[in-house]
Amino acid sequence: MLSLLAHAGDLAGGRSDLPIPEELFGIAAAAVLVVSFIGLAVLWPKPRLEDGGFKAFPRVLSRVLLSAPAQILYGAVGVFLLGLVVWSGLTGVQVASANFAPTFVYVIFWLGLVPVALLFGDVFRAFNPWRAIARAVAWVAQGAARGPLPAPLTYPERLGHWPAAIGIFAFAVLELVVSNGTVPQTVAIATLVYSAITFVAMALYGVDAWSDRGEAFGVYFGLFARISPFCRRGDELGLRRPLSGLAGLTATAGTVPLLAVMIGSVTFDGASEAPLWTGVVPDINDFFGSLSLSPEKALEATFLVGLLAGIGLVYGFYRLGVAGARSVGGSLSGERLAKVFVPSLVPIALAYVAAHYMTYLLFQGQAISFLASNPLGEDGVDIFGTAGTAIDYSLLGAETVWYYQVAFVIVGHVAALTLAHDKALVVYDEPTVAVRSQYWMLTVMVGFTCLALLLLSQSNT
Amino acid sequence: MTTRHRIGFVVVAALIAAVAIVLLRPEESSERAEDPGERTTQGADSRGGGAEREAGGRGTGGGPSNEPQEPTESPVQRIVLEGGQVSGGPQDVTVTSGEQVRLVVTSDGPDEIHVHGYDLTQDTAPGEPARFTFEADIEGSFEIESHTAEDAGLEPLIANLVVEPS
Repeated sequence: MLSLLAHAGDLAGGRSDLPIPEELFGIAAAAVLVVSFIGLAVLWPKPRLEDGGFKAFPRVLSRVLLSAPAQILYGAVGVFLLGLVVWSGLTGVQVASANFAPTFVYVIFWLGLVPVALLFGDVFRAFNPWRAIARAVAWVAQGAARGPLPAPLTYPERLGHWPAAIGIFAFAVLELVVSNGTVPQTVAIATLVYSAITFVAMALYGVDAWSDRGEAFGVYFGLFARISPFCRRGDELGLRRPLSGLAGLTATAGTVPLLAVMIGSVTFDGASEAPLWTGVVPDINDFFGSLSLSPEKALEATFLVGLLAGIGLVYGFYRLGVAGARSVGGSLSGERLAKVFVPSLVPIALAYVAAHYMTYLLFQGQAISFLASNPLGEDGVDIFGTAGTAIDYSLLGAETVWYYQVAFVIVGHVAALTLAHDKALVVYDEPTVAVRSQYWMLTVMVGFTCLALLLLSQSNT
Repeated sequence: MTTRHRIGFVVVAALIAAVAIVLLRPEESSERAEDPGERTTQGADSRGGGAEREAGGRGTGGGPSNEPQEPTESPVQRIVLEGGQVSGGPQDVTVTSGEQVRLVVTSDGPDEIHVHGYDLTQDTAPGEPARFTFEADIEGSFEIESHTAEDAGLEPLIANLVVEPS
């Protein structure tokens, strides 16, 4: 029978975290509840996060970091790495753990940029290779044109964040469903396809408009960057109150599906190790087999069903909570309310990613030291002299990992609570109705948080 | 929100905390909550062996009735492969961090056994089992795989090495 480890088994180095023990699960769940009620008791009566304030850095710093040569440098780095991924994926050895492309894309890029965004703000926007290439092309076209360039199409309101949601979903499918998603060639081809789509979209709708709402990775990392105090206003860099960037996020069409995909895909990744899932896989697999799909395709279809179920459950649970919040009063529709509160799901998504993938980043991320020296995986190549290093798995003990995982979950929960409370004060005219709506939102948050803890406590067998 | 509400929430929070502390007070035993479905491979029970050795090793003088003894050899874990597969599916080999792991893999055909994480590889052939002896100094759950099964397109996993914190 084909391996059930549809995701990156060999890229993960064959190492998994130990499930958190029952006592820790109990303590963490109790802590979440305690913290929630204390939060309800002490949270402020007037909205505080809407205006995050802005303290600019010294002008010199902003001038240097945002200057044209600097921006060209950032873009060049991004484009170089994109090219390296495609080149090593296509021409290098086709073993996922010995090739630069899979580890760079699935670990350094996909996971590594999350703490970077959290700590330093929307750094990816500067290094975004697609943005860089498109802006360079636009600059050349501007110079070569004899008149003004034709204006891009207006970005349709109804499209909103849907392209980003679909893009992240496609990435999740590649990572969790496709049976050879870590094969270097697959990674390279996926990168090329995504680049082509992005360039066409940027040509149609304009670079900035597409980067703001359509380009999947820019939007994804941009969401986490809104938690950070570091931000940019015009041509100035500065500080704002943490979380206020999220409070200022205006959700549009597709934002709720985007968050559902983000949380749902991590949920499925965690649940796919649980007995609940491994128990039903043979049945679903047989069903697809009976439709005359090959064993490999049948397993992929099974995992696709699981991923969709995970996303659907997350979406459904959130909408249920919103419907409950709606029942306490106020004049907003369910759709509007769902959009209003969805920014408070971002810290929860962050907690899920951090708790579930922390060790993957910490351990497999070390591989970049020997992969950078030998990106194609050939014999005898050692550019930086580090080709012989190996991953040191003893960096973190199992208990330390557990405490970090639980801490991420609890802190994410507190941040989400705070945001939702603040938003309720803005949205509802009457403070009493605002508080009542929060009971429902709190139930949703506690539900997601306890689900995160449950996933962490699943055994691997 | 009135002050009464706020006090009410703090009281609820305190109650939950109190209940949690009472229910979850850590036990003094050396056992951890075990998975009901956990099995070790055929051979001695490594969990019991480990716990005994630990208690004997710490040996605070005049403690409970463990006689001071030389550290016993850690039990040998045996895995039997047929065509690169374990009958009954992959098992868990569970040890405590710091223990010596002794693993013997017998196969009915030539094979190459790889322990991930520790990055150990041993060959095996009929009549020549693969023997692994190493200290479990890295915590986590590590896959043990048969390369023959992997090459044949079968499930390569033959066991999970689970190294728990001490």
